[in-house]
Amino acid sequence: MELADRAIGLLLSVISLSIFTYYTLWVIILPFVDSDHFVHKYFLPHEYAILIPVYAGVVLICFISMFVGYVMLKSKKKKA
Amino acid sequence: MKHIVKIMALLVALSAIWISLLQTSVLPESYTWLLPLYSIVTLGCYGLLMVGVGLMRFPTCPQESLLLQEDIVEAKGFLKEKGVDVGSD
Repeated sequence: MELADRAIGLLLSVISLSIFTYYTLWVIILPFVDSDHFVHKYFLPHEYAILIPVYAGVVLICFISMFVGYVMLKSKKKKA
Repeated sequence: MKHIVKIMALLVALSAIWISLLQTSVLPESYTWLLPLYSIVTLGCYGLLMVGVGLMRFPTCPQESLLLQEDIVEAKGFLKEKGVDVGSD
C-alpha cells in the first residue's frame, strides 16, 4: 500500500522535473545555440513551445467545465 | 469583495511589470513575450512536484493503525451487546 503511494509520488516528481527541464531548455537555452548543432534534432520547432501549453490549458479548462456542468445537471435531475 | 480586489491588484501589478519589461527591453523581446507562458508552466510543474513529494513522504503510522483496529473491534462488541446494529461483519 505504502510502496504503491511512494512509487506514484516518485513518478509524478520525475514527470514534473523532466517537463520543467525540457521546457526550460527549449525556451531559454535553445535560441542561443547555433542552428547547425545536433541538439536541435531532439527538440520540436519553436512554434510548438507555445502551442502545446496553450492547447493543454484549453483542454484542461474544457474538462473542468464539462465536469462542473455534468455534476450540476446530475444534481438538478436528482432533485426533480 | 475585498479578496477579488486583492487578486485583481496582483494581476494588474504583474501585467504592468511585464509591459514595462517589454518597453524597456531589459531582456531580448522574444523572451519577454514568452515569459507569462513560461511562468504558468513552471507553476504547474512546481505544484505537481509538491504533490509527488508529499505523496512520497506521507507517514502511515502502522502501530496506530493496529490500535485503531483493536478499538473498532472492542467498540463493535460493546455496541452489539447493548443491541445496536453495527452493520456488516
